[in-house]
Amino acid sequence: MSTTLVSRRPVSRRPARTGAAPSSRSRGKLGPTIVLLIGAFYCLIPIVWVITASSKSRSELFSTFSFIPGSGFLDNLQSLSSYSGGIYWQWALNSLIYAGGGALVSTLVSAGAGYGLAKYRFRGRNFVFTVILAGVMLPQITLAIPQYLLMSKLGLANSYWAVLLPTLINPFGIYLARIYAQASVPDETVEAARIDGASEFRIFRQVALPILVPGLVTVFMLQFIGIWNNFLLPFIMLSDDTKFPLTTGLYLLLNQGTGQPALYSLAIMGALLSIIPLVALMLFLQRYWKLDLISGSLKG
Amino acid sequence: MSSTVSSVRRPDVKVSPKARKGSLQPRVAPWMFVAPALALFMAFLLIPILYAVYLSFTRLKVTTGGAFGARTQVFVGFDNYVLSLSDPELLASLRRLATFGIISVPLTLGLALAFALLLDLPQIRYGRFSRTAIFLPYAVPGVIATLLWGFLYLPSTSPFNYVSRALGLGDINFLGLPGLYGSLANIAVWGGLGFNMIVMYTALRSIPGEIYEAATIDGANEWQVAWRIKIPLMTPALVLTFLFSLIATLQAYGEPQTLKSLTSTISFTFFPLMKVYRDAFGNDDVAGAAATSVVLAIGTLVISLLLLRVLQRRAFGEEK
Amino acid sequence: MKITRTTAALASLGIAALTLAGCSSAGASTEGSTSDTETAASGPVTLDYWGWAPNMQKVVDIWNKANPSIQVKYTEAAGASDLPPKLLSAERAGNGPDVAQAEYQKLPSLVVGGVVKDITDNVKSFKSEFTDSSWASTTLNGAVYAVPQDAGPMMMFYRADLFAKYGLDEPKTWADFATAAEKIHAADPSVYLGTLPQDGGTFTGLVQQAGGNWWTADGDKWKVSIGTSPSTDVADYWQKLAKTGALYTQPFLTPEWNKLVADGKILTWSAGVWAPGVIESVAPDTAGKWAAAPLPQWKSGDVNTGFMGGSAVFITKSSKHPVESAKFLEWLNGSTEGSGYLASISNIYPASIAGQAGLASASVPTLMSAQTDFYSIAAEVSAHTAKVTWGPNVQTAFDAFSDKLQAAQTGGTSFSDALKTVQDLTVADLEKNGFTVER
Repeated sequence: MSTTLVSRRPVSRRPARTGAAPSSRSRGKLGPTIVLLIGAFYCLIPIVWVITASSKSRSELFSTFSFIPGSGFLDNLQSLSSYSGGIYWQWALNSLIYAGGGALVSTLVSAGAGYGLAKYRFRGRNFVFTVILAGVMLPQITLAIPQYLLMSKLGLANSYWAVLLPTLINPFGIYLARIYAQASVPDETVEAARIDGASEFRIFRQVALPILVPGLVTVFMLQFIGIWNNFLLPFIMLSDDTKFPLTTGLYLLLNQGTGQPALYSLAIMGALLSIIPLVALMLFLQRYWKLDLISGSLKG
Repeated sequence: MSSTVSSVRRPDVKVSPKARKGSLQPRVAPWMFVAPALALFMAFLLIPILYAVYLSFTRLKVTTGGAFGARTQVFVGFDNYVLSLSDPELLASLRRLATFGIISVPLTLGLALAFALLLDLPQIRYGRFSRTAIFLPYAVPGVIATLLWGFLYLPSTSPFNYVSRALGLGDINFLGLPGLYGSLANIAVWGGLGFNMIVMYTALRSIPGEIYEAATIDGANEWQVAWRIKIPLMTPALVLTFLFSLIATLQAYGEPQTLKSLTSTISFTFFPLMKVYRDAFGNDDVAGAAATSVVLAIGTLVISLLLLRVLQRRAFGEEK
Repeated sequence: MKITRTTAALASLGIAALTLAGCSSAGASTEGSTSDTETAASGPVTLDYWGWAPNMQKVVDIWNKANPSIQVKYTEAAGASDLPPKLLSAERAGNGPDVAQAEYQKLPSLVVGGVVKDITDNVKSFKSEFTDSSWASTTLNGAVYAVPQDAGPMMMFYRADLFAKYGLDEPKTWADFATAAEKIHAADPSVYLGTLPQDGGTFTGLVQQAGGNWWTADGDKWKVSIGTSPSTDVADYWQKLAKTGALYTQPFLTPEWNKLVADGKILTWSAGVWAPGVIESVAPDTAGKWAAAPLPQWKSGDVNTGFMGGSAVFITKSSKHPVESAKFLEWLNGSTEGSGYLASISNIYPASIAGQAGLASASVPTLMSAQTDFYSIAAEVSAHTAKVTWGPNVQTAFDAFSDKLQAAQTGGTSFSDALKTVQDLTVADLEKNGFTVER
């Protein structure tokens, strides 16, 4: 079973590249490569910028050319680290808690729901599925204040739970889990286990879950990145800056208030550091992504 | 193709007489599996939205106390909706959103498709690198991306302006009208390109090879293969990415809000959701904001449902 | 099975309805919840303090060390513009702090939002630590609602070295300022004399200097004077100035503005007394080259100015420890010791008499190291600041003002007309919220 980012084509489409390359082929060779490299270059521009900008001291930031590195990288790092008693690292830890914890539990929730929606035929199945999917269309801003009031009623406002709980419901994750369960967990196997006398939950746990793991990794990753990058929810829920995640914390650095200058150098260094974990995560776990789910190309 | 399990060992399940009686009936079981999701959905999506609807029929008004009286909650019927729908700013913001969307959605999806098709060609070098680099922006949150591009747009800190000035072409006005729409769209394209490209690319890779053999025998070139075979077979992925791009565009908020602090061209109500935010947090008019959000949410729902209806069969194929 | 499902559905709806009913009561304001007799608590007390002043934690630490029985937990819950809505939702939900910082202009809207405690009695003991005009900024209809913390009387800060280079004298009147603008533009079109005041904070300060007030309370009624003189006169003046091309017409404190200031392309900034610290942080290499002066006047010989920014700290209605909170605020904002720390650690210009007097012997900001009498000029300016009233919908008016003025600037239409539109919008908003407005 393939675990690469993109599944292999079962039959190779063209004859393997032979040694003799006709001249027309070699002209066509470079064009697409160059276009792609231009695209790659375009996508990397701001990232290169943030790397060089974070190396500039406060005075260099606005006076030197963008892509020339400056002399202040370590200074900026130290300023950021010591800002408000090292709160940046607390923000980083919080992001990890919110994203890691939230994505983990929400993946389990999605797995259960996806499995239930995929492997059983019951009345109201499509209705439930459609309603859950419609949740994707609700703008976060509209939900923000009512969610905040709800949390307050439960006495949970300004707590870690306030940011964790709303992220546990992930309609898109349920959608993906459903497709994956439908495509990869064979009905015959489930039936066989049933005949053997296993309970439904046991079937889920011992038969389905192991099969679902590769797809669930994708669901986990998507939700992890989504929560890590989420700004509005923690912004509304939290008033204690020691509980902020990185997004809200960086926003605070940039919006101290009228007449207070934004702490651009700190924010830029902070932005750079906050991107690194995600980039690393994406690069290292590339082979576990199963994005065929999303493209709807899995056929049951 | 599909990642079917070719061989499955029957799990070693104990056959106990008890299991049958106490175990979940297959009829109730699905509800149990779906229950956590349903409960969370109700708690964090359904109830809040119902509460927002309820709020939209109220308002905080001063009833006693004269000039500095405190405001209390009062029922005002459809007043907020009337105010919202008759606000010229809302209409203007929708028009601006449309201008932005017309640029950003086709560009994002068009480029994603182009890159996906290019990546699928056999003669590509450094494909892995290009693919990874293009996907990288997905890791950058919208607010940060806007900050970074903001610096790249502002005349004094922009390397593009530096180059254009050096060439004697003067400043490029990224943040004034009409360039602002392009600049905003660029941020959206930059952020969305990678994810959509990967989705389309994986759809491409799953097309079985036999289909191409016939075409190659017939002498079709790459363009024809792409146009006649690949794209039609990718339709589910295309529809899905289009739908999500549309919804994301309708909810555009973080980018213009962040860019606003860098340029005076962006007003407080530049896009619809900015108006919602301003009403809720700037004017302490949560009820009015709720009314506008409901209007927008209904609009989004209607558009999405219409699209789905039209494209349903292509999007979800034989899944049912 | 059918029954079970229907029952489940009905049950869920029931729960939803109950929750909604419960939620709706959260919207009602918690008025009149203060205790009849306020006594100090018997044991140690912790106060929650929300604010944004730089380095405030260090000041709070000093207090905490000396006052084990009243501990203060400080949080930078949000920046200045984001804190009021956060306070409103937190207080209404019952999660608010004990004391919170608020800009003077936002105080009335917080009072009207039902979250601010009337502390007229609590501050009686230390009224003398502030001038009457300071208290005027936090007193509404005779009741005191907050203790002033820092003040922002407006001054003009200018590049003394570049003024000399272009042969300009320190402008004493707005007419002088206009002449200087033309001179600069003629000498070097890439240099700006100043920035267009397109934010409500700066503009209203200038209107105050001219003797106007956007809002005035007349008994039970409000009067709005945005689209009338002198507000429109100030607008016309700046529009004329903008037309000369000598003004930078984008917002200040953006990366672009910072760079221009650092490069010496913007020669003046009219802002509150707190400005030197801000300029220095964005343009550190220009330290020592600036000078401070009173704002140019409309009539030669006048010494008027307005306020730009400045904030106070209030006690929330829900606070269980108003007595201890008042004690803390007296130390922080009023006492010589506290105000001294506010100035030296938080870099703000204190509103208290002791604080301002204490600065007379302090060293001047490095931004204008050559100007040794900076603080005495500041004190003089501070003594002549106009009395200001703020209305309950300042943010609405400011937002509308920014949008309309920028539209007028881009479209070339009249600033005065823009102000008239803002007037209409502000009045409509007041009436929508149930206030009576004098037409």
